[in-house]
Amino acid sequence: MYGWTGNILRINLTNRTHKKETFDEQFALKWVGGRGFALKILWDELKPGIDPLGPENKLIISVGPIAGIPAPNTGKTVVAAKSPLTGGYGDGNLGTRVTEQMRKAGYDIIIIEGQSDKPIYLYIEDDKIEYLPADEIWGKGTYDTHAYLYKKYGKGAGVLSIGQGGENLNLYAMIRSLEGRAGGRPGIGAVMGSKKLKAIVIKGSKPIPVADPDGMRKLGLDDLRKVGEIDKQTGWSIQGTTGVLAWCNEVAALPVRNMRKTHHPDAWKIDGERLNNARVATYGCPNCTMRCGITILDHEGHESELDYENIGMLGSNLEIFELDQVASLNYLCDDFGLDTISAGAVLAFYADAIDHGAIKGDFRFGDAEKAKELLRKAALREGEVGNLLADGTMRMAQRIGQGSEAYAMHVKGLEISAYNCKFIPGMALAFGTSPIGAHHKESWVITYELKQSQRDSYGPEKAAKVIELQRIRGGLFEFIVACRFPWIELGWDINHYTTYFNKVTGLNWTLDDFWKVADRIYALMKFFWVREFPDWNRTKDYPPMIWFDPANADTEGPIAGKVLELDKYEKLLDFYYEQRGWDRRGIPTKKTAEALDLKEEAAEVEKFTKLE
Amino acid sequence: MKVTVKLIGPFINTLGFSEKQIELPAEATVEMVLSSLPLDPARPKIVTRNGQAVALNEKLKDGDRVVISPIYSGG
Repeated sequence: MYGWTGNILRINLTNRTHKKETFDEQFALKWVGGRGFALKILWDELKPGIDPLGPENKLIISVGPIAGIPAPNTGKTVVAAKSPLTGGYGDGNLGTRVTEQMRKAGYDIIIIEGQSDKPIYLYIEDDKIEYLPADEIWGKGTYDTHAYLYKKYGKGAGVLSIGQGGENLNLYAMIRSLEGRAGGRPGIGAVMGSKKLKAIVIKGSKPIPVADPDGMRKLGLDDLRKVGEIDKQTGWSIQGTTGVLAWCNEVAALPVRNMRKTHHPDAWKIDGERLNNARVATYGCPNCTMRCGITILDHEGHESELDYENIGMLGSNLEIFELDQVASLNYLCDDFGLDTISAGAVLAFYADAIDHGAIKGDFRFGDAEKAKELLRKAALREGEVGNLLADGTMRMAQRIGQGSEAYAMHVKGLEISAYNCKFIPGMALAFGTSPIGAHHKESWVITYELKQSQRDSYGPEKAAKVIELQRIRGGLFEFIVACRFPWIELGWDINHYTTYFNKVTGLNWTLDDFWKVADRIYALMKFFWVREFPDWNRTKDYPPMIWFDPANADTEGPIAGKVLELDKYEKLLDFYYEQRGWDRRGIPTKKTAEALDLKEEAAEVEKFTKLE
Repeated sequence: MKVTVKLIGPFINTLGFSEKQIELPAEATVEMVLSSLPLDPARPKIVTRNGQAVALNEKLKDGDRVVISPIYSGG
């Protein structure tokens, strides 16, 4: 079997034991890697209803068959667990040296089980596994933690760590790697913290199994060079993702004031042009020649690496338009190990709830210094406010009540990323049906909606486009595992990934083979949710009600007077379910499950609810 | 008539301006604006007029705001 090491490293932190297990070709071909591996293992091994922050949850680290090889944007690793934020399947991917080092150490999957009684970190070097005391780094931020571990193990080591957010079980704590990279929005860092696992360091020395090593190396290096050239020609990485802010502001899709507004006259102060002008450094993921990590100095003088989600959620959504202050909030999130998207949404919701008299407090939109103080409280779970903010918008709204659920900007418990869909039906559907809760990584359909469809259409073409993009973004790029940016941003043909996959595995797959795996993974992710929430119904795929509220319509600008319409959204959801072969509750039918080779999984889910 | 042209992302560096007013003859179209700018015609882009996507043959009005952006896949 080429393309996969075939090895799983299973580590139990309760009794500090580990063993090497293997998986066969059938498993590899059915689930491919990354998200596919993580999902299937969590489905098979977790009992439904377990406490996500208890010893029964498992932290999965998994890579794909092209991960870590020299080819465009293959430096990514998936981290996954049952989410403490949503209660469903949760994962994320991040650029990290762990990708290559894990493959060289001889593993495609690491399963971390149990719970240590004391803070520790893991050192993995090929077959050697050490459980080391984390006394010197527990309680420290991710920057100090990484510096400590790099000093000890060298800059080339693969390092994943949590900050104080994960240690204190903040429900949107992430796992950090390198400078500005983080993954696992649905609280995967909190799962790591619950296991008292501060960090994982990995080094490997074995060859990565590739069917055509010479051919792949030549092709991969050549393509890395070509991608770098296209980036230079097009200038994409001059602003990277941050160019999106000015565009969203023009088309009324920017998150402003807890997404109550869609544009703001001061947005230019924090846009990609200003960021590029303030740049002091640029960082990127391993195996990347289009580095997008624009780094500026924050208000306190730290280096802070920003992308669009950061400036959207910690800037415009909080009505903070001082770039160095937005950078400070971003730095704090990175250091505490908090998700910047959820943190921005949580603070905005808190300010909005205070503004509407639903809760008493002294935080107002635009107050950067207070926002910093609140981030610290949320990361450390300091006091009543810290504990409230650490639990995410869904639980905050449940506690605050007073109708605040309508403007708690999340889907399935995961905060909505920086696209205000007050009048963007297809993108609202993308958030609604995102399989880990609202995340833009699954399907970014706004450009299509505006350019090739009609903004006010709720037609089947939008459901089809959402599914097409989910297959590519939430499917292919999450299971082979690679960054999607060369594909759209630089026009790098999607068929390159089929070529890499086939050169690495020695197989002869087509894109249709990838789409079948993607559909299988999407169906099983839905089964995972249904098994956890047997009374599942389609309202779980709704975006927040405020997007349907005419009283929330813009009073001026491109979408003045317009909001989403619920009856039309329902119809759009029907188109989506029909095209996926799911029932009106949004659950895959038996026939669909069988066509995707999920017969056993369907039988398991039928213990909890009847399938159509 | 006068129309404001706003560029997004790397187009600013390609053309050397971020936003400017241009003078156009009456009944000018979006296509005329695009062809007056040295942007690679093969490069995928999305053009909006006053925040709404437009067809290239759409006629502009005095005071319109035309935004030209490359295609993104998200942040």
